[in-house]
Amino acid sequence: MSQEELPPVLKASVHDVRYFVSLLRGVNFVNRATITVTKRGMTITVEESRTLLGTAFIFSEIFDEYIYNPEKPQYHQNLLQREREARANANENTLSTQGSSSAMEVTPDLTQPNEAEDDSDNAAFEVPLNTVIECLNIFGTAGGSGGGGGGSSSGGTANVRRWQRDGDNSGEDNETNAEEGGEEGQRRGGRTRRTGYTGVGGEKRTGMRMTYNGSGYPLTLLLAEDSSGPTTTCEITTFDPEPHLELEFDNDQLILKIILKSSWLRDALSELDPSCEKLTFISNPPPPINPLETGGQRNRHPFREDLQPVFRIQAEGTFGTTEMDYPNDREVLETFECKKSLSYTYRFNHIARTLRALQSSTKTSLRIDDEGLLSLQFLMPVTNKRVGAPGGEAPAAFIEFRCLAVDEEL
Amino acid sequence: MRFRATLDNVSTFFKIMQTIEKLQKKCIIQFSENYMRIICRNDANEGGVEVWSKIKVDSLFTNYRIQSMADNTITLELYTEALLAALRSATASSSNFSTFGTDVVTMRLAKKNNHAVLALDIQASSRVGKPVSVTHDVMIELMSPQDAERLNEPMCPDPNLHIILPPLHKLRTIVDRLKPMSDILAIRANHNGCLRLSINTESVKVNTEWRKCTLANFPDPTLSQEQEPEDQPDPDQLFSCLVSVRSFLKFLNSHVVSTTTIAAICQNHCIILYVYIGDVTDAGGVLTFYIPAIIDDENF
Repeated sequence: MSQEELPPVLKASVHDVRYFVSLLRGVNFVNRATITVTKRGMTITVEESRTLLGTAFIFSEIFDEYIYNPEKPQYHQNLLQREREARANANENTLSTQGSSSAMEVTPDLTQPNEAEDDSDNAAFEVPLNTVIECLNIFGTAGGSGGGGGGSSSGGTANVRRWQRDGDNSGEDNETNAEEGGEEGQRRGGRTRRTGYTGVGGEKRTGMRMTYNGSGYPLTLLLAEDSSGPTTTCEITTFDPEPHLELEFDNDQLILKIILKSSWLRDALSELDPSCEKLTFISNPPPPINPLETGGQRNRHPFREDLQPVFRIQAEGTFGTTEMDYPNDREVLETFECKKSLSYTYRFNHIARTLRALQSSTKTSLRIDDEGLLSLQFLMPVTNKRVGAPGGEAPAAFIEFRCLAVDEEL
Repeated sequence: MRFRATLDNVSTFFKIMQTIEKLQKKCIIQFSENYMRIICRNDANEGGVEVWSKIKVDSLFTNYRIQSMADNTITLELYTEALLAALRSATASSSNFSTFGTDVVTMRLAKKNNHAVLALDIQASSRVGKPVSVTHDVMIELMSPQDAERLNEPMCPDPNLHIILPPLHKLRTIVDRLKPMSDILAIRANHNGCLRLSINTESVKVNTEWRKCTLANFPDPTLSQEQEPEDQPDPDQLFSCLVSVRSFLKFLNSHVVSTTTIAAICQNHCIILYVYIGDVTDAGGVLTFYIPAIIDDENF
């Protein structure tokens, strides 16, 4: 096979799969998922009933090793790469293989070159997500199903504690990375040593090496706990990606933007009875009175009496209606922008799909555009950041859900 | 027909019964002068798994007295759950009152309301030192000596090899993950000490490999002559057996009681698993599981 002589399209390894698995679990509500691999990382996309789209954005920095080679058959991409290096104009070939490429060569120079690159230069395939997660957890050391399960049952203070613990962990990782720094060349050696190191703490970690050889090839996972234990090889059949629902969120159409601590939203949603059918987000621009003074108590009164909630979650079910109001308080709503009064309804079971990601996240951004498209972004705390990465600070991965509003007229 | 014994090692008996109970509802227990056998035949469970265990009387009982017309052997059939419940009660009392050291569990054959029972008398003392006596009667059906004689261990060809398995609880974690993905599990091993557990389905292939497993040296040559004419077996040749994942998981339930487990692979026939209770050299007993092979190796 000529393909096998070529470098694999994707080669990624990580010494502890827990963070990676927690991100996968966050979107594991539909089995068939599309994995899109780019130079900067990978995205995992799932879709339900043409209404809800979940995407996990995982940056290459969370892996110990991450190498992406564009797939050979897409000849223009090689050219694009060469073009990138030389910053030269595209030649005839590029134009003949992809009509839109002429537009692409212009945009990189004008706007952010990185992102434009990523859009065009990718490899995508579909996998059964459940199977991937089961495989990663084959030794039972990929972390509990709740991800950040520690904070799921209790309130905000537990979350703070979890934050601290995360901090501690990454501190520990710093040490191990420093230890590894001596022999940076030997990634594998570093990996096993690090698993050994964390093994002192009493728990074992599953290390992973992932390869994908391109369209038609399986996704291969090589898993091991330590050098003495067993190794597992998984070959997961991949499928050609099906086109996904496209839910573009246009920032110009944005009418509500809220950033809040995930626990505030999680506590609210977990209060709701699971038999609820509909969930409505109601928001109004903050009252104009004294916008500088947002000290909680003074503000709380006015909006209750005005019945003009700043931000309200209303759930409707067979047994009744629940309403929850958030105060316009910086302690709670870190960012609150509302351009006009709005009320959009979503199916509760769609919103409930986001709970798993919400539970293991630290911060949530909630946006709604003027057509009712809801975007929920969850910032996933980095637990095993790779500090010595050439790209510098590893950006935390996040999971985004986009959900269409229920058409009220129906 | 008389039987009476003091059950010393309640927890081991309890763990054995726990394993058996997950396998099937009824089992046969045969008491003889030196051994207790627990037998599960393949007719009562779907996977065709058989268990033939042989446990030394000394490792569980003291004051063991048995008497019967059939060569001092008593064979009976009972519901595993009922015996397990009685033993659970006995373990609970022995752990709660162990400081008093007065805890005696007696097992005896009795007759209640014209029905044979296996009675478990638990003598314990309460926290304040008052004696407590609990009796569990487990309904049994006695088997006639003729029926008992017809119990025969399954016939198997000479195994291709014997290999010592990694700790069963680790195997169980892995096989648990594989269960939702496949119904069939392939077990392969070679004379180099390589052991592989694999599944192969349309959507996923998973192969877990252990290296440097110890081979168990049984005195008889592990190769059957017809299959391999050379004297020296190829150390890299893998011998494989396909079994039902569910059946294998049932065997893995025995991780609660196991210390060492030896797997014998009879290629394309069955896999025999010897679960040793206590140390191998001084084994108090062994549970032998026969898991039949699934003959469908097109894909493997």
